[in-house]
Amino acid sequence: MAADGGSSSLGLPCVFSPKSRQYLALCAQDGRLRIWNTDSKTLHQEYVPSAHLSATCTCIAWGPCRTVKEGPQRKKRKSEAGQPEERADLLAMGTAAGSVLIYSTAKGALHCTLDGGHSGGVNSVQWHPEDSLLYSGSADTHIIEWDLQTGKTRCKWKADRAAVTSLCVSPDGKLLLSAGHIIKMWDLETKEIYRKFTGHSTAVRTLRFATTRPPDSNGLYFLSGAEHDRLLSVWQVREDGNDKNSVVSFTLTDEPQHIDLSTSTSKEEAVRLAVVCKDGQLHLFEHFLNGPCKKPLSPSCSVQMAGTQDSPVPVPLLAAALGTDTGTVLLAYGNHLQPVMERVEINTAERHICLTRDVQTTLSLSMETAVSKVKTPIVNAKSRVLVPGLPGHQAPIKGTSQGSEKRKKGTDTKEMSIEERLGEIDLSTVSSVKGAPKGTPSLQTDNFAVLLVQGLESSDAGILNKVFQTRKDAVIKKTVSRLPLPAVLPLVEEITKRLQGHPFTAVLMVRWLKAVLMHHTSYLSSLPDLVTQLGVLYHMIESRVRMFHKLTKLHGKLYLLMTQVATSDSSNTVTDVDHTAKLVYEEESSDEDEASGDEGLPDDNSDNWEEEEVMEETMEQDMEGQADEEEEDQDSRTESKANGEEDMEHENESEEE
Amino acid sequence: MASFKPTKIQVYPKLGEKVTQDTLYWKNYKAPVQIKEFGAVTNIDFSPVAPHNYAVTAFTRIHIYGPFSQEPVKSFTRFKDTAYCGRFRSDGQLLVAGCEDSVVRLFDVSGKVALRMFKGHTKAVRVTDFTSDRYHILTGSDDYTCRLWDIPNSTELTSYQEHTDYIRCGITSKLNRDLFITGSYDHTLKLFDARVNKSVMTMDHGQPVESLLLYPSEGLLVSAGGRYVKVWDLLKGGQPLVSLKNHHKTVTCLCLSSNGQRLLSASLDRHVKVYNTTNYKVVHNFDYAASILSLGLAPDDESIVVGMTNGILSIKHRKSSEETKEISGQQKRRPAYRVFVKGKNYVPKQDDYLVSKPVKQHLAKYDKQLKRFNVSKALDTALETWTRFRKPEITVAVIKELDRRGTLKNALAGRDERGLSQLLNFLVGNLVDPRFAPVLVPATEMILDIYQSVIGQSPVVDVQLQRLQDLLEREIGYQQDLLEVLGMLDTMAKMNTSPLTPHPPT
Repeated sequence: MAADGGSSSLGLPCVFSPKSRQYLALCAQDGRLRIWNTDSKTLHQEYVPSAHLSATCTCIAWGPCRTVKEGPQRKKRKSEAGQPEERADLLAMGTAAGSVLIYSTAKGALHCTLDGGHSGGVNSVQWHPEDSLLYSGSADTHIIEWDLQTGKTRCKWKADRAAVTSLCVSPDGKLLLSAGHIIKMWDLETKEIYRKFTGHSTAVRTLRFATTRPPDSNGLYFLSGAEHDRLLSVWQVREDGNDKNSVVSFTLTDEPQHIDLSTSTSKEEAVRLAVVCKDGQLHLFEHFLNGPCKKPLSPSCSVQMAGTQDSPVPVPLLAAALGTDTGTVLLAYGNHLQPVMERVEINTAERHICLTRDVQTTLSLSMETAVSKVKTPIVNAKSRVLVPGLPGHQAPIKGTSQGSEKRKKGTDTKEMSIEERLGEIDLSTVSSVKGAPKGTPSLQTDNFAVLLVQGLESSDAGILNKVFQTRKDAVIKKTVSRLPLPAVLPLVEEITKRLQGHPFTAVLMVRWLKAVLMHHTSYLSSLPDLVTQLGVLYHMIESRVRMFHKLTKLHGKLYLLMTQVATSDSSNTVTDVDHTAKLVYEEESSDEDEASGDEGLPDDNSDNWEEEEVMEETMEQDMEGQADEEEEDQDSRTESKANGEEDMEHENESEEE
Repeated sequence: MASFKPTKIQVYPKLGEKVTQDTLYWKNYKAPVQIKEFGAVTNIDFSPVAPHNYAVTAFTRIHIYGPFSQEPVKSFTRFKDTAYCGRFRSDGQLLVAGCEDSVVRLFDVSGKVALRMFKGHTKAVRVTDFTSDRYHILTGSDDYTCRLWDIPNSTELTSYQEHTDYIRCGITSKLNRDLFITGSYDHTLKLFDARVNKSVMTMDHGQPVESLLLYPSEGLLVSAGGRYVKVWDLLKGGQPLVSLKNHHKTVTCLCLSSNGQRLLSASLDRHVKVYNTTNYKVVHNFDYAASILSLGLAPDDESIVVGMTNGILSIKHRKSSEETKEISGQQKRRPAYRVFVKGKNYVPKQDDYLVSKPVKQHLAKYDKQLKRFNVSKALDTALETWTRFRKPEITVAVIKELDRRGTLKNALAGRDERGLSQLLNFLVGNLVDPRFAPVLVPATEMILDIYQSVIGQSPVVDVQLQRLQDLLEREIGYQQDLLEVLGMLDTMAKMNTSPLTPHPPT
């Protein structure tokens, strides 16, 4: 009965379900509880405690096997499926925050939470074999007896001066072992100390009853293993109280991490013991417990596991459970996120066995392999998976127990939805560029209005630049129309400041100004001091447009000249080969020349880059246009260039004279 | 001999940000020193005594930094949970700090272990301060209470439970040992008097209050909460004087510059704003990389210390005056003083006949050329790269002067490809500037007239002309837009009762 899987609060908790060993419960580094089916070797259930990152799971214990009918709260579907044997259902998880979560594998959800009891992290949880009682030992030095019917504390007592690190309930349910550094045996009826056992110098992490005999027959033995201790001690509870020292000790290669044993009911039956150490080795022992033995016992067989790579790396064993017949051992190995389970026949005649297995080291790959292994699991209808993000502990989502295939599918659809969303965004932007008959997405303009107000309030140049660079008229209009009234005048001031710059950027600001004037006409005209408010702007614009006539004339002049050049050029391309060739060559040098000139242009505006960009664009267009016109071979270039320069110089000289 | 009149360079009003005394003062800091702390820096407090160390509260630690060291001179790490509000006593000997675990700890600045622990609060203590008599401690907590404690006995003296939400800021009067003010997330500021058992004044800030500040005179109180900074007149019974809204996110911290002339506020929007305390206008603005949680200013504004949410502590030290001088000294070695006074200190006697030495006129390069009537060269010097880009007004003034003399045409003519493209480049850069346009437009026309015949022969020039044309096109489009806007403005002015006076644009 006490054969429920070994719980170790050391490292990561990892427990086989009692009796049939059908499930392996594992709490991995990511704080999720995973239950693996050891028969089909697939993930049976996954549960994410809502506080899995802050309050990590420190220990797990499977509840005693019960026939399904006993569970009053559970649905009876499983029993209908024709499985009358006892099944392990409930799992108790102690957390670092001091609460105990009871998880039901039948429901695939959290059964209940026991909290409010401990002020420190829970180090160990143990079930009472018969009554629905649960014992938890905590770092706050107390042990609590929980009544699972009510979910309340039934009894709480101080057990030690230091943290309680381990607990064990005797198979008959009358005694409780607790340990910090000192192992104490409690009478559960009276909650009084029955015995004390001293000998460990470090915190005891493992406690386990080895026999099921009553204590008064001198035949009750238990095992203890402590932190950083490479010995597993066996203690005898003697009637005469003469039990100061351990009777037997087993030597290990490292600190014990997972223990499984077959208890003996009589003196004639040997105790079989499977211990997985921290270094990933498994040690098997077989011993008749019948009194003290001075020499420490060495294992009857040690098992190691290695990968199949060129230079084999040891693969750590996580847990081992003894099978019903003597030869077989159920092993779990690999990493905690993706353990591999296997039933192995061990030849106990050999003292040292090394198994080689191909274990994928990378996580993603191993997930893949898991997918390929899936073969329609047996039970799936009721199991569910809980994911983070949803509030509360009981937030089930679609079951994935049909295997990882289904999960993969789920993620696929998720990706699709994101893609669709992206597509939608693209569509909307395109439509807005085209003039947006549908109307631009309100989200963006809304953001822009907020951004603009923020930028104006704190006069943050970065934010303002970002907003003012918008070219879409629709966006500008919506932004301005959503602008709260108090922000209008600061916006006008800001625009006035920016209107003085280069026409390339100032053109954008005119759009903003027009939008402001159009959308807030009534507000602005109702201002009593409009003239003073907009006076600066008015005068600024006036001084700027004063040169309008002259500039237009100049433009006309230039336009005429340039068109003349263009026409003569195009006519030249047909007739005069040399002339056009010169153009091709010079372009490259002129390009550089201009680039250097551009860099030094005075900064009228912080948005200078934009004008450069525009210029480059036009330049490129020009070049393309010219290049199209010309179909010249490269040979004549140098000559023609020389000719051209000579020509120029001649002309210049003549003019100077 | 008539002296040559140098070209008059017109002074144009400068565009852009005005340079004020304040910007000069606040820009006179060195590049910031950045120190990575373990978590968000929630409080910075300067020791009131020299050498003005400062305590930085970040995560579960309080580090004390010296004025120039970048390593903490002292650390207090004995906190079970996040520490808050490490503050010095007025003698700089003791430090008090609150903690998330509701225990208030008092440290000796030279020691390591807490001298006193004040237990009584039931939730995190975010506010701690010493009263001016040095024997009591004020604390404010998330359990809605603020309490006074006696240091020698480490006992609780009084507890006030008037706030209805977390107390996140508080300050004691430096003049009166019984007065203190707390600000809470219930939007109120309360002034307490330890001699009576309830608050004597309540002010409504309207937002959860994040920070408080008392002027040295203690007549004015400044509170920050939400996006507002508000100033209250305590002597007039808590009358609000000013409400400032210059941040676009919650203001987290306030600070007064040492002479009390400037108020600094820091906010989650990553800005620190400096206000003038006479008119409460923003006079300067600092930008930081992350949201600011705490701000400290050393006495005499020697350094600005800012703590941010990403755990970075940024310290800016003021440039010392010697340093700035040294740099200028290295740049240019001036002749000795003697050179300048030589012969100048001679005092003429009564009968001496004074012959004044003709004053030598220092002329700029372009003026020298102008004086010699080398008009083309004068324009060349004015078109030198540096002048062209940095001081376009000089180039424009020279062109104007040439135009006045009627020799502009000669100056412009006879340029080779390089010279012409240089000239055109300058025009592209400055032609549309409304300040220069009246001079440059006729000049451009002249250039076009002169070089009409050679257009199309040099691609370099052609490209420049193309750019010029493009620019003009845009400028004309832009001015058309502006004219439309002018029309709009006119209409609007008409709609308004008092129409705009200026004439319609020509």
